Amino acid sequence: MRDSESEWSVLMRAAIGGDGRAYARLLTEITPVLRGIVRSRGRALSPDRHEDIVQDVLLAIHEKRHTWRPDSPLKPWLYAVTRHKVVDAFRRRGASVHLPIEDFTDFLESEPGPDPLARRDTDRLLAGIDDRSAAIVRAVAIDGEETGAVGARLSMTEGAVRVALHRAMKKLARLGAGNGGDGPGRGRDE
Amino acid sequence: MRTEDLISRLVAEPPRPPLRALAMALAMLVALALPLGWFLGSMGMRPDLEAALLAPVTAAKSLLPFVLSATSFALALHLARPEARVGRRLVPAALVALAALGLWLGFWMQTPTQALGAAIRGSTQVKCLTTITLMSLPPLAVGLLMLRRGASSAPALSGAVLGLACGGMAAAGYALHCTEDNPLFYVTWYGTAILAAGGIGALLGWRLLRW
Repeated sequence: MRDSESEWSVLMRAAIGGDGRAYARLLTEITPVLRGIVRSRGRALSPDRHEDIVQDVLLAIHEKRHTWRPDSPLKPWLYAVTRHKVVDAFRRRGASVHLPIEDFTDFLESEPGPDPLARRDTDRLLAGIDDRSAAIVRAVAIDGEETGAVGARLSMTEGAVRVALHRAMKKLARLGAGNGGDGPGRGRDE
Repeated sequence: MRTEDLISRLVAEPPRPPLRALAMALAMLVALALPLGWFLGSMGMRPDLEAALLAPVTAAKSLLPFVLSATSFALALHLARPEARVGRRLVPAALVALAALGLWLGFWMQTPTQALGAAIRGSTQVKCLTTITLMSLPPLAVGLLMLRRGASSAPALSGAVLGLACGGMAAAGYALHCTEDNPLFYVTWYGTAILAAGGIGALLGWRLLRW
């Protein structure tokens, strides 16, 4: 096993002395360890939250690195910072579970559907499906409108909106997973 | 944001200088000197100050809170590191508290029962309580703001310890004016005021020292 303690201490000393490369190496080497800690402790949280917490910890290490004394070992300091931020993150995120149900449904609706719906790619992807489906996806999945309200506006039943939404999402997921750029591109060149 | 991007962004930022004990102590002393100087200037020192400081029990009125203040300050700085444990570092401050308590008990046993109430109450306890507590607030504010650069794993405890340091120093200064030399009085009321400063420090620390 490598002696990461002395190695990391050397890197951190160099980092505090202004060596950006040593600092980058240190943070890069620490990150998988942090991920392991967060993952092992964070079974109660969905995995996509884990990386947020890892980044919170990295930020804290960065902002508080001057509180480490170069003549003392680095790992206890590092672990203390990590523990503090992880406990804090879990407490904050854990508490949100106890919110009233209305807030919780808001949270669910604002969560993006399949991965391809990242804002940047949305318009490109939506151009790949028919206009009516695109309007439904925009209204429900992005703007968070109720399916009933959307149905009333488009003179469809709520059930029909849901079915159309479901099909559109599946199609979008396919477009996003494949090379969506080569898709039919309806309306892009007009 | 991707974690790799975060790291390359962080690397570009220069490190901050560490917290300096001396700078923090000086800043807090200046913040105390203003209200204390104003108070002693307008209310006056006790006329028999030199003689009073030569009598051990009277000198203890300044000395005990001063030592408590110094040890608490050192502890507050220690706790500013995230990996710090309280443990044995609490011993010096606890010894001061024990000494004060012993002094109080000794005089309690010597005093006739019917005189106890009057001895504990004294005649200036309201002035004593409010002055010491109020004077401890400016250095507490300055100290807490500087301690925000630290990274305490126990923000409320850090604030409380810093509050004790400020209350102790304010009490040591107030003792130069106060002529109530019975430990039954001063341990009770100075102690209460110092604990009040500690309580305020705990509340503020809990809010301000989180990170």
